[in-house]
Amino acid sequence: MFGKLYYQDKGLFLQSFHPAAVLVYFLVLLVLSLLYDNPLYLLSLLFLLALLINGVDGMEAWEGFLKVGVLMTLVVMVVNPLVIRAGATIIWHGPAVPFLGRLDISMEAIYFGAVSGLRLLVIMSIFCLYNLMVNPDNVLNLFSRAAGKSALMVALATRMFPAMVRDLKRIKEVMQLRGVDFEEGSLWERVKKYSVLYNVMLLSSLEGSMEIAESMQARAYGSGRRSVYSRKLLRPRDYLSMGGSLLALSAAAWGLHNGCGRYAFYPVADALVGGSSTLAALFVVLFYLSVPLILSEGCKYCRFIKSKI
Amino acid sequence: MPLYKIENLTYYYPEAEKAALNNISLEIEDGEFILVAGGSGSGKSSLARALAGLIPDFYGGRIGGKIYFQGWDIRAMDRRKLARQVGMVFQDPEKQIVQTHVEAEIAFGLENLGLDNEEMLRRVAEVICFMDLEQIRGDFTANLSGGQKQKLALASVLAMQPHVLVLDEPTSQLDPVSAEDILNLVKRLNEEMGFTVVMIEQRLERCYHLADRVLLMDKGRIACDGSARAVARKTIKGCAPFLPPVARFFAGLQAPAVPLTVKEGRKLLRSCLNIKETGAARPAPGAGDACPADYTGRRCAVRLKNLWFTYPGGQEVLKGVSLDVGEGEFVAVLGENGAGKSTMLRQLTGLLRPDRGTVEVFGQDVGKNGFKEIRKHIAYLSQNPNDYLFQDTVEDELLFTLKNFGLKDTSAVDEMLERFNLAQYRRTNPRDLSSGERQRVALASVLVTSPGLIILDEPTRGVDFRLKAELGRFLQQEAAKGRTVIVVTHDVEFAAEYAARAVMMFSGRVVSDGKKHDVLGKSVFYSPQLCKMCRGICDGVLTFSEARDRIYPLITGGAVVAEGPGVTM
Repeated sequence: MFGKLYYQDKGLFLQSFHPAAVLVYFLVLLVLSLLYDNPLYLLSLLFLLALLINGVDGMEAWEGFLKVGVLMTLVVMVVNPLVIRAGATIIWHGPAVPFLGRLDISMEAIYFGAVSGLRLLVIMSIFCLYNLMVNPDNVLNLFSRAAGKSALMVALATRMFPAMVRDLKRIKEVMQLRGVDFEEGSLWERVKKYSVLYNVMLLSSLEGSMEIAESMQARAYGSGRRSVYSRKLLRPRDYLSMGGSLLALSAAAWGLHNGCGRYAFYPVADALVGGSSTLAALFVVLFYLSVPLILSEGCKYCRFIKSKI
Repeated sequence: MPLYKIENLTYYYPEAEKAALNNISLEIEDGEFILVAGGSGSGKSSLARALAGLIPDFYGGRIGGKIYFQGWDIRAMDRRKLARQVGMVFQDPEKQIVQTHVEAEIAFGLENLGLDNEEMLRRVAEVICFMDLEQIRGDFTANLSGGQKQKLALASVLAMQPHVLVLDEPTSQLDPVSAEDILNLVKRLNEEMGFTVVMIEQRLERCYHLADRVLLMDKGRIACDGSARAVARKTIKGCAPFLPPVARFFAGLQAPAVPLTVKEGRKLLRSCLNIKETGAARPAPGAGDACPADYTGRRCAVRLKNLWFTYPGGQEVLKGVSLDVGEGEFVAVLGENGAGKSTMLRQLTGLLRPDRGTVEVFGQDVGKNGFKEIRKHIAYLSQNPNDYLFQDTVEDELLFTLKNFGLKDTSAVDEMLERFNLAQYRRTNPRDLSSGERQRVALASVLVTSPGLIILDEPTRGVDFRLKAELGRFLQQEAAKGRTVIVVTHDVEFAAEYAARAVMMFSGRVVSDGKKHDVLGKSVFYSPQLCKMCRGICDGVLTFSEARDRIYPLITGGAVVAEGPGVTM
């Protein structure tokens, strides 16, 4: 079940980018999702992300993210009007509540809550896409030069996690057959039972770590300065993607400087489309951000593009 | 100049009172294939670590004597230089892999050597081609099978292009097919590429004939050293546990030569047997009876009826499995990895519920009631005895099980400790014991409730000959007492020697079930070495005692039956 949430090499075009190009792209997406307030801009980003997630065959995984995201959006939509009094369009006058004062629910506060939830959805979708599109090993490899030990530690933890889950399941079964009922007893008793489980795993992991360390030493780890094995090639698609990301960032910066993408919720919400420049700036940014998607689709249907990138 | 020269090497692990290596002197020539054999704790792994420079660098402890590699004192050698020359592969493939992806793992050692990227790319590509890893080069290492992981561990070492390959029981965790794969690779490396190979192995039938030289170790010393045949000749005179079964069989005969392979054994057997027609020898007891096994008259302990099971991922693992096991039966379940053996065990312990079909243990429907109803009657030993050990003392480990089941009478603890020779370790932390002792503690901790059904999953992995024989005899005794024993194993020799019935599984189905003579005797690949040797000459022989009873009386010239055959298991 959890396997769908992690990177799986499906040989897709969108998974073939150099990790540096992908990281730049995701960084730009993340920055824009934090800077933009305009719901139209955020919706557009979400739409683009949906297309990209579909491109990496990840709709099933995204569904899980969406469920959590929508739930959190609803929570924000409920909580925000209860604590924010800045809205001008009051739709319900509630009673006075200690600490919070009078509960006046405004349309703008609900609207702001919904847009905050939308932003959350965009950010979660970015992480969902990252998990599906980027081989974590390649990213680690990228950082190996700068922080070799940390990168190796993360790789070890990533590699060991599935094995630990398997071990934990096996040890739990062993304990169950030795008469331990994990679901029975008070909370404290259950905690004690689970502590036994983690105790066994910790002891075995400590012994196992010695063996791993021995194997690493036998392969000359720590014998001097390490080099970094880099197997990813920088191809035209990576330059195009990086160029697109940087141009999108520049266009967004220019737009934000001129008010495109900004949005005021209080006391009265702005119009969604302030003028033609709002749509023009959005179009330009979206176009540059769509470069990987355009290349991916182009690769499918155009031999020329495929041969050149 | 020898490749290795060891002079009076003595080594103590930190805080150990007994020497792991005791005054060892040894020379190893370039290009040799050396097999190191011996019981648990005889010093085999310590010698391997010493050759790889891990002792005392990694472990600490006290060391005396010298190890020279190509004339250089190994302790004075630069570690990077040594790692370029000597590569070591360990027992457990799970505990050697560091990186998340196959290609990165192969490059790990090369990065440690500080090689430039072009050189690394070339070496990684070469190794991937040589080891046939192209299909999995981008795979997540945690998802590989045991055989693939061990192959990857070997590839990662080979990429460093060492001169010497030290292998510490590289096949002990693998099924027979994967083990054969690894051994064939090692043989090629030695014969075609000139690698010097030092290999430790317990299952000698797999590799004895591959070695140019055999070192037999005992109590930290080299008890015997010579060519494979010379060592076989020397050790054949006494009790000969460290010989392949074929050679061990001829221990009781004063044969002109010691055969090491099935082919040699068959040739020798034909030359000295007085049989005109093949297969004319007296049939083995129990052989030749019609399948299935005769368990009529016994109460049924386990009944699996038309069992189907599919994992949530969609993998159909059991396909209509039906199996009845009577009380007091000793059943060995064999088959390749992924055949559904372990899933079947989990079904009959109630840890998994079948999609279709029924599981009954001692008349109770397990699928309906789950494991809670039947677990008091089951002793289950998983592949890893460490899963059972977390208490401060061995005694507490046994008391823990009793307490969970609400059993007040603790006299069974003393009985179990005596039975498993653990009384002296009563107050010892189980994690401080050797692997064989840990397995005994784990077994005692599940048998303390006197269950009627004993289930063991791969109990002979990494276990030496003596411990295996002890375990086999114990299980036979338990079966004789009326307890039902089910063992899942890849160890055909163990199944043939101790089980009464064999079940073969393939791709989620039971493809063969019956008395071991019928199942293993007819199988080409899943049959013990003695059976292979006798096939067509004296059909139906599986064990040593059968071979002795049936073949020794037929010996004419060329070999003489010794008065006291040295083979006992």
